[in-house]
Amino acid sequence: MEENKDKSRLQNLIDSIVKAVMENPVYKSIFRTGYPDTLLKRMSVMRTSIVMHILPTKVGVHGLKLRYTWCMGGITFFLFLILTLTGVLLMFYYIPEENRAYNDMKDLRFMVPFGMILRNMHRWAAHAMVLTVMLHMMRVFYTGSYKAPRQFNWVVGVLLLLFTLLLSFTGYLLPWDQLGFWAVTVGTNMASATPFFGYEGPFHELLGVQVDNDIRFAIIGGTRIGANALVRAYVWHCVGLPLIATGFMAFHFWRIRKDGFSGPL
Amino acid sequence: MAEEKSSDFSRRKFFNVVGGSSLLTFTGGLGIASAKFFYPGVLYEPQSTFNAGKPEEYQAPGEGEEVIVDERWKKKQRVWIIRTKTGIYGLVAVCPHLGCTPNWFPGETVFKCPCHGSVFNPDGEVVAGPSPEPFYRPMISLAPDGSMIFTTGLLGIRRPNLQTVKKHADVFWHEDEQEIITKPPFFLPVQA
Repeated sequence: MEENKDKSRLQNLIDSIVKAVMENPVYKSIFRTGYPDTLLKRMSVMRTSIVMHILPTKVGVHGLKLRYTWCMGGITFFLFLILTLTGVLLMFYYIPEENRAYNDMKDLRFMVPFGMILRNMHRWAAHAMVLTVMLHMMRVFYTGSYKAPRQFNWVVGVLLLLFTLLLSFTGYLLPWDQLGFWAVTVGTNMASATPFFGYEGPFHELLGVQVDNDIRFAIIGGTRIGANALVRAYVWHCVGLPLIATGFMAFHFWRIRKDGFSGPL
Repeated sequence: MAEEKSSDFSRRKFFNVVGGSSLLTFTGGLGIASAKFFYPGVLYEPQSTFNAGKPEEYQAPGEGEEVIVDERWKKKQRVWIIRTKTGIYGLVAVCPHLGCTPNWFPGETVFKCPCHGSVFNPDGEVVAGPSPEPFYRPMISLAPDGSMIFTTGLLGIRRPNLQTVKKHADVFWHEDEQEIITKPPFFLPVQA
């Protein structure tokens, strides 16, 4: 009898705590649907959560098969998140200035606590992201997932590939070493061969385009890779391109949710 | 109702046109302004004109040598100063292919670009590799004290500018144009 009485008192206490927590407006606004014991509730959980609403409310078993999706899109997005996080941390130490950039990169490697692993995470995740984007593209191609009604999302995906490569390219200059410097010299010089708008391209004389007012000049902010080019690469790399890419990514995921996963019916 | 319909230009249409054209003007102006923003009005780049000292400071080629390529201005100004038996001229050390800095190999008497392997002779002409054009040549003028002023201008002057056109027409040089690299301002004759 004593035991029972004690237990019921403890039970009452737990019950009242559970009740206080679960009827709390804060709890209710986080867990809106209650225990997801029905299909409707499960779909409602997906729909009402900001984290989960990226995913479709309902996924077929085939859509979960790793053999089918390779999870390449998901890995790419995961790498993008790692890059954003490590990139923001790198920004605490790196200054895009001609005399400092290379030394800051060296300091990050040897003088900043955990700087070496931070920089290498950013570097390897960037390399890996280019690879996973391409593998994702291959998977979509080989499973025929680019076909109607998903053809427009394929186009958005190609744009995302472009932005991934542009992010890679702008990040290449930032260590301000010989490799990045000359790679970007070569890469931006290609822009000077643009028809009409590049100073070495066809028809450039029609618009009076020369080395100090062509499209390459707008990209590197000068006639040669220098201080302006470094700052421009930095701003595009850290702010401009990630924002644009995020916008396209949001669209990309939203479209997947609307179209559902491809695969065997 | 019939009277209202007889008017071709309704109030709604008027506001649509006014609103639409205002929006177009605004976004168009914003686009042009944004593009213009990326073209700064001043550059803090090395000067395109520099004093390279007196011609006597550059050693003339000796027995069995055709040219001496002087690299003292390469790092600072990206210009080689070349002394031949008859005079001095400059070459802009920018590969016309994609902008790398080639290296001078005195033993082989050629310039080689490390990026994509273009090879140039001391005249700046392409011997091998992907470069579509020879090196640019800077203009040389003499200061009152006799020292040489090199002007690379907007990346320098490419040997006759018409050359690209000529090359496409399979006529590489005109006889009178060929003169241009053997006389001032692109060549400074120096007595031996």
